[in-house]
Amino acid sequence: MSAEAWQITWFTIGVATLSTAAILPPGVALGWLLARRDWPGKSLIETLVALPLVIPPVATGLILLKLFGRRGPLGGWLERTFGWEIVFTWKAVVVATAVMSFPLLVRTARVAFEGVNPRLEQVARTLGAGPWRVFATITLPLAARGLVAGAVLAFARALGEFGATVMVAGFIPGQTVTLSLAIYQFVQLGHDGEAMVLLAISVAIAFAAVWVSEYFVRRRPA
Amino acid sequence: MSVELSGLRVPLASFALEIDAVLAGRVTAIFGASGAGKTTLLEAIAGLRRLEAGAVCVDETVVADVAAGVFVPAEQRAIGYVPQEGALFPHFSVRGNLRFGFEAERQYPAGLTYEHVVEVLELSALTERRVGTLSGGEKQRVALGRALLAGPRLLLLDEPLAGLDAALRERLLPYLARVRDEFAIPMLYVTHSPDEVMALCDDVLVLERGRAIARGKPAELFRESERPRYELRGD
Amino acid sequence: MKLRHISLFLFALAALAARAAELNVFAAASLTDALKEIAKAYEPASGDKLRFNFGASSTLAIQIKQGAPADVFFSADEAKMNDLAKAGLILADTRRTLLANTLVIVVNADGGAAIATPADLVKPGIGRIALAQPQTVPVGIYGKQWLQKVGLWKQVIDRIVPTENVRASLAAVEAGNVDAGIVYKTDALISKKVKMVFEVPAAEGPSITYPAAVVKDSKQVEAARKFAAYLAGPEARAVFAKYGFLPAP
Repeated sequence: MSAEAWQITWFTIGVATLSTAAILPPGVALGWLLARRDWPGKSLIETLVALPLVIPPVATGLILLKLFGRRGPLGGWLERTFGWEIVFTWKAVVVATAVMSFPLLVRTARVAFEGVNPRLEQVARTLGAGPWRVFATITLPLAARGLVAGAVLAFARALGEFGATVMVAGFIPGQTVTLSLAIYQFVQLGHDGEAMVLLAISVAIAFAAVWVSEYFVRRRPA
Repeated sequence: MSVELSGLRVPLASFALEIDAVLAGRVTAIFGASGAGKTTLLEAIAGLRRLEAGAVCVDETVVADVAAGVFVPAEQRAIGYVPQEGALFPHFSVRGNLRFGFEAERQYPAGLTYEHVVEVLELSALTERRVGTLSGGEKQRVALGRALLAGPRLLLLDEPLAGLDAALRERLLPYLARVRDEFAIPMLYVTHSPDEVMALCDDVLVLERGRAIARGKPAELFRESERPRYELRGD
Repeated sequence: MKLRHISLFLFALAALAARAAELNVFAAASLTDALKEIAKAYEPASGDKLRFNFGASSTLAIQIKQGAPADVFFSADEAKMNDLAKAGLILADTRRTLLANTLVIVVNADGGAAIATPADLVKPGIGRIALAQPQTVPVGIYGKQWLQKVGLWKQVIDRIVPTENVRASLAAVEAGNVDAGIVYKTDALISKKVKMVFEVPAAEGPSITYPAAVVKDSKQVEAARKFAAYLAGPEARAVFAKYGFLPAP
């Protein structure tokens, strides 16, 4: 495997890891809220969160481009306030993959929390545990398997992201080229052989990720 | 120790639970058929459910008062709750479950120690076991011990012996009696079994469709019959 | 009189019998506006319908190689056409070089970066320069050739944002997401949101020529030949000139 292929692979894994880590706290929190609470406008939030799953990835990419472009509302503010440039940098790749895998994580987290018997949480309260202690010692451990499965799934989705990433990050070698983008480019160049190598790597990583996720879902607590 | 329910109202699916009563027995039975609102009443007293109207007062302390905007969260009420299914924490051992609400600095009534509870409920052989390996009866005993070790001033039991066969029920009743006698913690005992009422309770509140339709001592409300041994009096 | 009626009748019959052809024209992205205007005149006059696939000539060439149903290929460089010729995919006798173009540097019209000479591209403060994929897309190849010639390529390479095709470079400059772009003069002319700050003089720049040819596997060879010939004709030439294209050298 060439040095370039290694760089692309590590870059992709790095970006997917960072993106998954970034969406974990808000994703788990939102999953819990959707599982345990009702509030006016809840279905609106549910729909918004599900959008990146159903609209074409390039459409999501276009929305992100308008938002995070240098002259966009978020991009402009970030550049003025922190000096951060988002589009056409690795940061845009992280943003695109995070947005695309967020709905998957929220969904899985919600199901994981819904699977925890609320009676257990109630009894814990009567035993003197406040809401945070209940969450930390009862809810979270019992939902943990599902949450890990969700995180791994989000990671796998981030690895394979293309449509949105292409729109906001472009094909800057060494800076924004992920495995998916590189495969596309190699095909454009007519370098099918190199494209196949990267294809094999992508499949191997995705396979491993889904395998691990299934393991956590299947395992029964002792 | 008394539990005062003033104008308590909790809406349910097809009717509302409405109670006005003072429960002051050692073990007060909440008796009624399924769906009468017994579990809802316990949830309201424990702080696991909000009232639509009225107030709940435990031992002179107001724990809920809709008009005054008071609602003490469940974890601060010191009211133990043993639900119908026991609800043991599956990811803790028996010891972990028992000790969950136990706090060394708390003022426990005399005799209420970890060792004594384990002894009274005969749990010593079980403490290192995983919850999933316990039988129905064993689970109920652990649930009872867990609630006691949190140092409650009132214990709510929701049909603790339902779902157990007759022989097992016979074996567990004495444990409940022991808890009543050894630890002197007042209990509200939900059941639809007259036998259990006669065996354990000294006060009865009969619920039907969310309302108290009868109140009194067990002997006043129940009479002997062929089978089951007791049944509700018609008057 | 009767003869005229009969021949008119026969002609009408023939016209009805000859189904109107639908031509797939694969053309370089920089030709988008000019060709669309040409189509407006050509379609009613010929009775044929034109369906355009605009993109980077490199992408189009690959699509044709993989069997995409193209009738006419209009490329932004000779290399892509040579590629297809070598693979025996075009009708050699229909190949004509029709147009020429020049490279320009553009910046955003509204508060764009201060660039007046090529050397300004390597100024600090110029973070990103849009250039279509320099390994494959004609305008990218031309841009790289020129920058190498003036000795700026190595310094500029880290700032290059490779885009899909020349219009994507233009869009990036219009949106303000890059500081500058290298595009064809013809692209700069159609956009009000960018301004040209430097034009590569013909002597310094690479030779940019646009060949067109009929694709061998076309299912409408006659109609394709007719269109290819029209592209070389006076009406088309006038339209291309209007958009800033130069006639072929």
